[in-house]
Amino acid sequence: MPAFSDINPIVLFFASILTSNILLSNFLGTCSFIAISKEWKSSFGLGLAVTLVIGICCAICWTVLQYLVIPLGIEYLSFIIFIIVIAAVVQMLEMVIDRYSPSLYLSLGIFLPLITVNCAVLGAVLFMQIRNYGFLQAVAFGFGAGAGWWLAIMLLAAIRKRIENNPVPAGLKGTGITLIVIGFMAMAFIGFSGMIAVQ
Amino acid sequence: MSGKYSTIIRDGLWSNNPILFQVLGICSTLAVTNSLRNTFIMTMGVTFSTAFASWNLSLMKDFIPRKVRMIMQVLVISFYVIIVDIILRAYLPEASKQLGPYVGLIITNCILMGRAEAFAAANKPVASFIDGLANGLGYTAILVGIAVVRELLGFGTLLGLRVAPANFVPMTIMIMPPSAFFLVALVAWWAKSLGIRKAAWKQPRQAPSAAR
Amino acid sequence: MHPILVGPLATAGFSAFLALVISLLDGKLNDYGTVNVTINGGKKKLPVRGGSPLLGTLAGEEIFLPSACGGRGSCGACKCVVTSDVGPYLPTETPYISAEEVSRKIRLACQIKVKKDIEIEIPESLFSIKRFEASVGRVRDLTYDIKEVRFDLRNPSSIDFMPGQYVQLAVPKYGDITESVQRAYSMSSVPGDPGNVELLVRLVPGGIATTWVHKFMKTGDVVQLIGPFGDFQVHDTPSTMVCVAGGSGMAPFKSMFNDMRARDSFPGKEIWFFFGARSTRDMFYLDELRKLEKEWPRFHFVPALSEPKPEEGWNGEIGLITNVLDSHLSAKISAGKPREGYLCGSPGMIDACIKVMTKNGIDPRDIFYDKFA
Repeated sequence: MPAFSDINPIVLFFASILTSNILLSNFLGTCSFIAISKEWKSSFGLGLAVTLVIGICCAICWTVLQYLVIPLGIEYLSFIIFIIVIAAVVQMLEMVIDRYSPSLYLSLGIFLPLITVNCAVLGAVLFMQIRNYGFLQAVAFGFGAGAGWWLAIMLLAAIRKRIENNPVPAGLKGTGITLIVIGFMAMAFIGFSGMIAVQ
Repeated sequence: MSGKYSTIIRDGLWSNNPILFQVLGICSTLAVTNSLRNTFIMTMGVTFSTAFASWNLSLMKDFIPRKVRMIMQVLVISFYVIIVDIILRAYLPEASKQLGPYVGLIITNCILMGRAEAFAAANKPVASFIDGLANGLGYTAILVGIAVVRELLGFGTLLGLRVAPANFVPMTIMIMPPSAFFLVALVAWWAKSLGIRKAAWKQPRQAPSAAR
Repeated sequence: MHPILVGPLATAGFSAFLALVISLLDGKLNDYGTVNVTINGGKKKLPVRGGSPLLGTLAGEEIFLPSACGGRGSCGACKCVVTSDVGPYLPTETPYISAEEVSRKIRLACQIKVKKDIEIEIPESLFSIKRFEASVGRVRDLTYDIKEVRFDLRNPSSIDFMPGQYVQLAVPKYGDITESVQRAYSMSSVPGDPGNVELLVRLVPGGIATTWVHKFMKTGDVVQLIGPFGDFQVHDTPSTMVCVAGGSGMAPFKSMFNDMRARDSFPGKEIWFFFGARSTRDMFYLDELRKLEKEWPRFHFVPALSEPKPEEGWNGEIGLITNVLDSHLSAKISAGKPREGYLCGSPGMIDACIKVMTKNGIDPRDIFYDKFA
């Protein structure tokens, strides 16, 4: 298995979408995933927002980590610094989009406050730190993780649309059957794991 | 007074259990439920952080301006999670390494923010602490249960000790991510059917004469 | 520099830098000036700074809609009715809002930004229920067993309520009573005097709260009042009000009549007030109400005693209040005009009066009451 730090960024991008999907193999971002996946349109917007935010946050956090946290030797405070960066990035993005593009705000901006404390964002940043990625790898990993999450929620939203018209035991309706579907999706994604190992 | 606290405890452990009836906060911990030991450490971390962060935020609630309430909540939560992280690094370095980023992810666990917002923002510090503790323990109970099943069926061990008979064939699926989703689904199913039964029982019964 | 200081200082400096950038952006991009939030058709109007979600804006004004996730749109608890136009339903809302709720204009408060004047409807209880610290002011004996107690509100210093609503009086521990108890009392004061709350408290033998009020309470004692609660209030219809009270059931009516008189509200609404007591020693506010009847043409006052003693020289109606009510409803209060009933008193009195009213053709749906438990 190659060390994390010398994987080709392009390979890493696809690997983080398919072989180590942040949601299906790391369980990150499940809460909003289950809640929002009821709606196809909402899922699309949220997925796009998550992808953008994870990508941007990974890039900024990498920079802050390399040029502020590590030189000062305050790695023990990195959780707080990361969460502040994420909160700030999300808030700024939202304000800018809200002001300059009302239509983009409706399809994307409104999802931003939802993901300030989305586990997937912080999770991706923490993986990025632990695996010692370089800058390009961090960016590729960030966008890849986001895109993987996006893909998963779109697939789930489509499946849930189908489930609506099917007989499901009363107790399993809603969350229960959704979790089972996610489980099957996770099994399907295991099929990709032979392609490349990053974990 | 004791009646109030026992209600809080019952709510957290059972009637309002964060996983059973809300399916909240599974993100950060589900990944480690293939090992009972790691699950126990993680859920203890969540319980500790929830209880203290709730207590702390309840103490501070009158001094925090509304505008920055959310960011203050996150900072206070991060503070306690960092303490958990430092303790783990110092005393359980092996577990800390295995858990990797998941300890940090306690910060974004929905239960912590949820309790801070839903309970600590409106209640006294001691009650908030008990609420956090009860919710954390309710969460622990369910996830430890899931971990017991996964480790037992997946490795034939419990806490790393072999308990299954020698001819036991480990079920590899149990240590893979999908099984965690299936088990949580079963738990949610169980909880919901309990709820359904409760509701059905509460409905007034029809008088026999009305049926005729 | 000491190494321990590096972490906190760097974190603080870094946060301050980001906060500064956000504040600058916020001031530049997110400036919508002051906008008005109108609650429940003008009952409350809040000038707020625009640009934030409704949920947080309301919280800043001490109005807490229920919310479990803290405004992240993952719980769907913060529903409220928005009657003004705030744009189409957002994809973050639709998963939580049913078609029936759409028709009732229900939105998720955490997803709606307040950018211009907005009109919302929320349960009344959410924006006016507060815990008041109050001190006992003037106390008067109205009868041998009913006291009129005024409380001076200290913090918050004024209350916003509708005549007919009640408050919970939290009685401190005293004597053998080791727990603070709460009891509900209708307010007899008027909203026009928001700094004071007046309650009429009848001594109930063995009652924890009433015993405290009658035997232990002193002027200047500090108590807690929680409220206002309840939906017993004057309905805005042209119907004639037929009000019946006994004992301390006088309280909500005193508030209603004084308020209607002071503000001349619900013009054209005629009022009949029946007040029943056993003998003159149970009768109170007689002179005040007779004076009000003389000065206020649409108000009619009918006091009745069930067991007057000859030496008392009673010149009013005699008999059970239900009989007096019955004879007035069948003869004097025109059935040609719609009538509605308002009752406050003991459960026995209320049930008996409901029977009399329905017998005389008042629709049970138009009979409102406040039963003493």
